[in-house]
Amino acid sequence: MSGLPHILLIDDERSIREPLAQYLTKQGFRVTQAGDAEGARARMAAYAIDLVILDIMMPGEDGLSLCRHIRASGDVPVILLTAKSEETDRIVGLEMGADDYVVKPFSPRELATRAKVILRRAAAGGSRQHAPDSGSYAFGGWVLKTGERALVDREGVSVPLSTGEYNLLLALALRPRQVLTRDQLLDLTQGREAMAFDRAIDNQVSRLRRKIEADPKNPELIKTVWGGGYTLAAEVTRL
Amino acid sequence: MKLLPRNLPGQMAVLVALALFVAQAINFGFTLHDRQAFRLEQVVGPVSARIIDATQNPRARDPVIDARLSELRPDETPWDRFRPRPQATNPMPAGLSRRADVEHGIRRKLTEAGIAVSEVVAAIRHVAPDDPRLARLPRYRAQRLRMTGTEMLIAIRQPGTGWWVQSASWDDSDWSIMRGLILQTLVLYAIVLLPVLWATRRIARPLRTLTNAAEGFHPADQQGPIEESGPHDVRTLIAAFNQLRTRVLAMLDEKDRMLGAIGHDLRTPLAALRVRIESVEDDDDRTKMADTIDEMNGTLDDILSLARLGRPSEPVTEVDLAALVDAVVEDFRDLGKPVEFAEVDRLKMRLRPSLMRRAVRNLIENAVKYGGGAEVFLRPSAHAVEITVCDNGPGIPPERIGEVFEAFTRLESSRNKGTGGIGLGLALANAIVREAGGDIRLTNRPDGGLAATITLPR
Repeated sequence: MSGLPHILLIDDERSIREPLAQYLTKQGFRVTQAGDAEGARARMAAYAIDLVILDIMMPGEDGLSLCRHIRASGDVPVILLTAKSEETDRIVGLEMGADDYVVKPFSPRELATRAKVILRRAAAGGSRQHAPDSGSYAFGGWVLKTGERALVDREGVSVPLSTGEYNLLLALALRPRQVLTRDQLLDLTQGREAMAFDRAIDNQVSRLRRKIEADPKNPELIKTVWGGGYTLAAEVTRL
Repeated sequence: MKLLPRNLPGQMAVLVALALFVAQAINFGFTLHDRQAFRLEQVVGPVSARIIDATQNPRARDPVIDARLSELRPDETPWDRFRPRPQATNPMPAGLSRRADVEHGIRRKLTEAGIAVSEVVAAIRHVAPDDPRLARLPRYRAQRLRMTGTEMLIAIRQPGTGWWVQSASWDDSDWSIMRGLILQTLVLYAIVLLPVLWATRRIARPLRTLTNAAEGFHPADQQGPIEESGPHDVRTLIAAFNQLRTRVLAMLDEKDRMLGAIGHDLRTPLAALRVRIESVEDDDDRTKMADTIDEMNGTLDDILSLARLGRPSEPVTEVDLAALVDAVVEDFRDLGKPVEFAEVDRLKMRLRPSLMRRAVRNLIENAVKYGGGAEVFLRPSAHAVEITVCDNGPGIPPERIGEVFEAFTRLESSRNKGTGGIGLGLALANAIVREAGGDIRLTNRPDGGLAATITLPR
């Protein structure tokens, strides 16, 4: 058994699966392939898999059903490959307990980065983030809906966020009352989307404050911790 | 013609009312004619008979009548039933309206009886309710005279004998008959019009429902078929409409499924290609290939969105439009694009946020692509909101501004082919904004560049 992280790659399309397996192998993963759900189950049983990369659209038992099975039987993180970027698929996929997803056509480089982030997270905490993207988070009169990527106020009016703002707020909402340094926040928000965040975290924070704080000059929700970073100073309820 | 109602019950009611009115008018004409003939007969018959009787038995005397006659003052005309008596001069007061029909009738009757008549005068005289003579009359006759208010005076001149004068009751007004007829008409209207209105409404109501359903037909609405009601013909029509609706929805479903399949089938090889190019050693080449694939994917997204717009899956929600525009602008700025937007106050609108984001994004994307950057303005007014995206590019020749909304149009002459895009972006933005009840306008700015303005109703 090598010390390399073991990825199970499940996709019915050989034209994607094989070159992707090749690429991931080159990136320092041990890759086992499966062409359908049945093969995947067999390999799950045979090997100690660290991460599953799973195509949603497959003939026979589809990826979502398999994802649910994997989630029910263990703690192995899952990244979904999806052909559609429709919002509904996003919600459904994440409700199934996937850790992350990429939309086809994806950059293999980005996939590898995300795989590393998830593996590192799993190794560090042992306790895997429970489907970080799924559900809604309520704090200080706001509800952050991850499915629709919308921030909804008390009156039910949705306040659209830029991708950067959304990622930052989600990172904070997932770790309420924890102090997150700028580096941690960069690490948490980057790599989730194909976008590169050149602008400083400070800038995003001040923009977020203008949107969600009653008095942006005197923030009650996103507080600056001197010399440290930022923290979400509110109870977060997962809805 | 504005007085005529346009709907079915109204038109039916007016038609039936008109027909009834014409029928009643004819009926009225006949009734009036009959009544007049009857009234004439009632005057002419008895009056002629009494005159004939008086002339033929000049000496027969009735003591009671004689006694009454003696009570008359010389200028008074005797009432009928009194035996007429001859007078030397014409006893008719001047200025009364004469009735030629009565005169003619009496002359004929007398001539038939062999009585020579040189002159017949018949005229109507008004009787005041307090006429002193009424007191001397039997009560029922006085009452009748008071009620009608008129009497008929008839004078006949017999050569050699002089004038015979008679009076008969005469109801000059046709009001009572009119009143009867009007009442009759109203009763008829009630009996005929109410069922007509009921029946036509029974037809019209389902028809209106059907019209509303046809007008408001939107594939995105998940409303069921229309309830079949009304008469059989209307039910059949509604059933046919429901079937048509089902077929259209099935076709749209089919279209969605097909587009989904196309999307999947094209994305898979695109994804395979995207994975494979990672093995290209040359960084520059690889980046260019990745960009091309991204662009193809973007186009594919646009095609799918445009085709699927008829049945948007996203619900309409309350959204802060200012934050929406700001978020789109911010996404561009995060990628280092020169896009400016002056933040404005919260602006609550009801729309589909993801689609509207896409419309605004497409406009800004065009401005960035062709104009090098964008300046975005959000201007709310009382009834509308304007989102304007300005660039400093070459603009569009005025005569071609209408074309750019057509899918797959790109203005090669003025825009650089190398920048890609097949003009779907604007068409998609236009379709999204129109679905939201708004409009997109393109104008060349006086100081250069293009201004794309989305107008949304508030």
